[in-house]
Amino acid sequence: MGKSSKDKRDLYYRKAKEEGYRARSAFKLLQLNDQFHFLDDPNLKRVVDLCAAPGSWSQVLSRKLFEGQKDVEGRKIVAVDLQKMSPIDHVTTIQADITHPKTLNRILELFGNEKADFVCSDGAPDVTGLHDLDEYIQQQLIMSALQLTCCVLKRNGTFIAKIFRGRDIDMLYSQLGYLFDKIVCAKPRSSRGTSMEAFIVCLSYNPPQDWEPKLDINQSTEQFFEKIPSLNGISELSIDDQSHTKAQLPSWSLEERSIAEFMSCGGLDSFDSDATYHIDADDSRQRESLDPVQSPTNPPYKEALELKRRGKLTRAI
Amino acid sequence: MKEISHYGPSLCSKFHEKLVYVGYGSSIHVYDYHTGDIINECNIFHRNKVHHIRICTAGYALICGMKSFSVVKLDDLMSCSEVLNNERVIAECIISGEFSYECTQLYLLTCYNEVMVIDFQGKIISRNSVYGERSLLYSGSIKVMSKDEVYVNAGTVMGGVLIWNLFTAHMMHNLVGHIGSIFHVTLSDDGGFVASCSDDRSIRLWDFKTGSELSIGWGHTARIWQLKFFNDNKNLISISEDCTCRVWSISTHSEAKIELVQRNVFEVHLTKNAWSIDVHDGDMIAVSTGNDGRIKLTDLQLASRHGDEQECFSVQDISRSTGTKFENGEIIKGFQWYEFGLVAVTSLGNILTYTTNNGWRFQMNNTKFISYCYVNGVSDENVAVFSNNSGHIMMLKFNDDAEDVIAKSEYHASELSKTNNCMVCKYGSSHFLILLESPNPKDVFLCLIVNSATLAIEEKIPYSKPHNFSSSCVEVYQDNVLVGSRYSTLAIYSLKSGSNPYVVRRINPGDTTTSIKYIETVGGKAIFSVTNRDGYYNFIKINFNLDLHEQDTPVTVIHSNKIVRGFLEHAYMDSSGDYIIHGFKSNLFYIYNETKGYEITSEACGGAHRQWRLSSTSDGWILVYIKASNIFFRRFHKRAIPETLRDGIHGREIRDIAIKKDKMYNKGYLFCTGSEDTSIKLCHFAKDSGRVTTFWTQRKHVSGLQRCAFINEDLFISSSAREELLLWEVDTESLERPFMNLRQVLPTSTTNPDLRIMDFSVQFIENNVGFILAAVYSDSAIKAWFFDMRNSTFHLLLDGKYETCCMLNVCLVQYQENLYVVTTPTDGHLVFYNISNCIPFKIKNQSVELISDEVQILSSALPNFDLKLPVHQSGIKALAHAIDSSGRLKFYTGGDDNAIGICTMTIEESTGKIEGHISAFKPNGAASTITSCGLIDQGKFLVTTSVDQLVKVWDISKDKISLEKSQYVTVADTGSSDSITTEDGSTTLLIGGVGLSIFQVPCE
Repeated sequence: MGKSSKDKRDLYYRKAKEEGYRARSAFKLLQLNDQFHFLDDPNLKRVVDLCAAPGSWSQVLSRKLFEGQKDVEGRKIVAVDLQKMSPIDHVTTIQADITHPKTLNRILELFGNEKADFVCSDGAPDVTGLHDLDEYIQQQLIMSALQLTCCVLKRNGTFIAKIFRGRDIDMLYSQLGYLFDKIVCAKPRSSRGTSMEAFIVCLSYNPPQDWEPKLDINQSTEQFFEKIPSLNGISELSIDDQSHTKAQLPSWSLEERSIAEFMSCGGLDSFDSDATYHIDADDSRQRESLDPVQSPTNPPYKEALELKRRGKLTRAI
Repeated sequence: MKEISHYGPSLCSKFHEKLVYVGYGSSIHVYDYHTGDIINECNIFHRNKVHHIRICTAGYALICGMKSFSVVKLDDLMSCSEVLNNERVIAECIISGEFSYECTQLYLLTCYNEVMVIDFQGKIISRNSVYGERSLLYSGSIKVMSKDEVYVNAGTVMGGVLIWNLFTAHMMHNLVGHIGSIFHVTLSDDGGFVASCSDDRSIRLWDFKTGSELSIGWGHTARIWQLKFFNDNKNLISISEDCTCRVWSISTHSEAKIELVQRNVFEVHLTKNAWSIDVHDGDMIAVSTGNDGRIKLTDLQLASRHGDEQECFSVQDISRSTGTKFENGEIIKGFQWYEFGLVAVTSLGNILTYTTNNGWRFQMNNTKFISYCYVNGVSDENVAVFSNNSGHIMMLKFNDDAEDVIAKSEYHASELSKTNNCMVCKYGSSHFLILLESPNPKDVFLCLIVNSATLAIEEKIPYSKPHNFSSSCVEVYQDNVLVGSRYSTLAIYSLKSGSNPYVVRRINPGDTTTSIKYIETVGGKAIFSVTNRDGYYNFIKINFNLDLHEQDTPVTVIHSNKIVRGFLEHAYMDSSGDYIIHGFKSNLFYIYNETKGYEITSEACGGAHRQWRLSSTSDGWILVYIKASNIFFRRFHKRAIPETLRDGIHGREIRDIAIKKDKMYNKGYLFCTGSEDTSIKLCHFAKDSGRVTTFWTQRKHVSGLQRCAFINEDLFISSSAREELLLWEVDTESLERPFMNLRQVLPTSTTNPDLRIMDFSVQFIENNVGFILAAVYSDSAIKAWFFDMRNSTFHLLLDGKYETCCMLNVCLVQYQENLYVVTTPTDGHLVFYNISNCIPFKIKNQSVELISDEVQILSSALPNFDLKLPVHQSGIKALAHAIDSSGRLKFYTGGDDNAIGICTMTIEESTGKIEGHISAFKPNGAASTITSCGLIDQGKFLVTTSVDQLVKVWDISKDKISLEKSQYVTVADTGSSDSITTEDGSTTLLIGGVGLSIFQVPCE
């Protein structure tokens, strides 16, 4: 598909290029904000963007927190990703692993040892096509982001993350309900209706009073949350005794599940990401196809593509 | 509610002795792969799919899937219908599992690179990991070399392969070289090599001792999911998203360089994704599984198992063995295969025979056949027919060992000024026909009837030749000769009466007709398969009971389709009713099972531009072809083992399912599935067993399907992106197989259409003169068309737009002398358009009629909507409607917002406008998007499917929505359903998504 036909099929793709966003997903955060207004709060100071590359959410955060704002005193945005990111105004980018304690320390350092008001993550893993595995890995990514969030987010702070609404999503809703006062499943109009994607909006961080979360690279997420048993259906097996051995593995049972309130975001007057729009032929600005703000990164299979292009990957042997 | 059958992704397979164990959904299927018989289906897990199977010598299987694992006795796997009590769970996803050396413990590798050592009772003995290496894994394996030597091979998401010792927790290697996530890593049994594959589409071979990279294997064009060493670690086999499995050799002939060389490629699965591969070393058979739900067996010795598969002779070889001197440049010009072997002619008119026992032999020379000679024959009569370009024919009949010529006859067709084609075909039990064609259009098309025993010409029929005719193939049926031609034309001659053929032109868009084959007789009419070199194939029905010239339509096309790619040379139905085709694609000759969708065999012969002929033998086929002046014999033996253990369905998501509900077909029902893979399958399910048989895979759509539906007993519509809406006619007269022909295509709005037709609905006009079609588009367009049955044309009636958002559903509803177009856009509203006064039809209470016989078709603008009722927060994905016992119109909706709604509509008497309200609403009907709904049991219950993989039955009587039943379904991306309630009150429910599940819902 050429870039102009994609422009036509996906108005958000075109709009992102027009407005200088690195990806169309910028509109997802904007529309979430239209509903929840978390970025319009004048008291919002410290913000963390996890799995931030290529950086469209950081761009939104930067514009919302700094552009045209009078009082930017104390405002800080930290963006973390394993991939390298091009710089963004007012954003400190860290190329690091979100599960590593060092990353946490660097963020807290940048915040002058104060906690964050808002943490977001638009991260998604490479999708294999095995739905159960893909959904699981996505939930692990959210749990990794959540671990860091638990260490960095202030009480009453907000956490939002991308989710896939598959077969175990109600399990995640239930788990997050133990850490936040309110959980909403939000679907921006810019996220395609045909996609399983949605965003979990966790409001009012409210962890157990006596719980001191601590990142340890040799701990799994299950071990991290083991002091909150409701968050971890099978954690009792590892606290059976000190040596973590001779514990009996449980039989299968249906995990605790609950359904979060659903909220469509962005208003019905905003563009529909499932619709085909006709580009007005008289408007020359609309007709011209735009180059993406940032070229796509090299895929891992770049060399294979090159070999195929040269006719080296044929069936004949 | 009970699942009676399931077809869908299979993620693992394992040979053990003479059986193969296959993970299929949450069950394991056990097959005897020699007979293809299924021994047992055993349900292993409550919900999780089976991802891994390991088998130990003590007679146990370790089965893992996500967080679940189970240890099951092989005896139980072969006899129990379920072993759900054995299921145990750990806190994290299990990437791989293995038995300990003495089969007393289990090792489970988690996705956080930790190995849990567990006893058979599920007690944790230890948890081992390498300090600081707990990053996420997509893949891994455990290799048990001895009691205290166990290695963990872990594939990370960042290109690294970590190899560590389980007991010392010592990291031995971090193999770096791949880019992207590692999707499989395995250590050879002898501990010599490590093989890995990743998102970079390469296979890398490493030295286990040194950790150095030995070789990189390129070849796959998509991600590779599994690798397996076999044949004493001399070979590696890989399986990929490109749906092929590939055999690699590990060449160790030179100490200096160990190389991974691709040796063979097998196309094994459909469209997208093949997940698992295993090899039976003793039998050299591979089993593979994929997203298409097919369990495929591949013969890894396809070209060497019998030893006689390949023979090649040069002209010099033949000269030496016959003792005949050939001239410089003399080549083989034509040949025909017989039970005894081959008859061939050279460019200098030397006629030779070849038999398996005695090799090549010179028979005679005939100078008439120098330079131009065409060889044909009747194989089971040992008759060869030689012809040149000036009308000379020589016929030879050999004895059974080709030692002697027992009859010979020559003829000169002086009726023809020149000949450019000669075709031979058996006629009855004692004769054959020779058809001679001249390039001169004024010449006759000459048919000779020859006695097979004496080779005497008993009759000559000078047929007239149609204009624009160039014969290419022939079939004889009773006393009729069917001749195929270029321009996709067919001429039917009678051997008993008249010389004028009945001509059928442009059967399909292709050019040269390559084969005509009689299939069966149904209702007194004969059905033939007709193939075209350009890849099209058709089935035609001919009524031979009356003179063809005296009938209005003696020949009807009942089936049309096109092969995936390449040239199509021939087709026939095999004994099990599968349509077998052969032809060429690029430099390969292929034989393909079109019904089941797999390649049977192929030969890299160099392509279509050569002398070649495929003949059946007592044991399969033989392909004889010329390549670089050499003659090749390639025997394809019938396989001793089945091609598949289970035939699957689509390789990608099923977007819609439509059951043909008007009548039963062979103890079940016909149904169609429309898939993201752009194809439609016409299938059958047996009512009792749920067994699914696929008859056809229609490939007319070029984009992913959106919707499909049967609109009456023989018409079917499918719609997809690129503004494709196709009207099909289904012919179910034959009980062997149904047929399906494209009848008409809906006109598009532009020459380069890019809109999706999201849904459609029809309303038939009284007396079957046609129907009104409402279609909704992704750009908010709503259109109504009239399809005139009398001339098969669509006429646009109404055209308009809702707003700018995408439309998801539409239905045409006749309610109290009004006809409504009811649509659901992505904004969550139910929108009603009353079109009664905008269309040239009379809307009565029960019917829609033509106002006059002459339909005045004037397209007009869609009127404004009567009502826009907000029901859901976002898109209404599922829509059903019914008129209840008190005459109120009801709509049932399921949304992206997880909710289910019931709306009750009435017509306000004073204004005549439709009004309505939400009479019931359930916000959390599911944990995720509700994707389909349908009424069952006379509208008493509503069935919904949702992406959370639950099928729910709701009691919707008395304007409430209360849950009756809920059932987990193993089909992911659950997106479509259809149901049929039979006379006994039970409902059969078909659920589609990534796979297909069939449920039986007993009556209340």
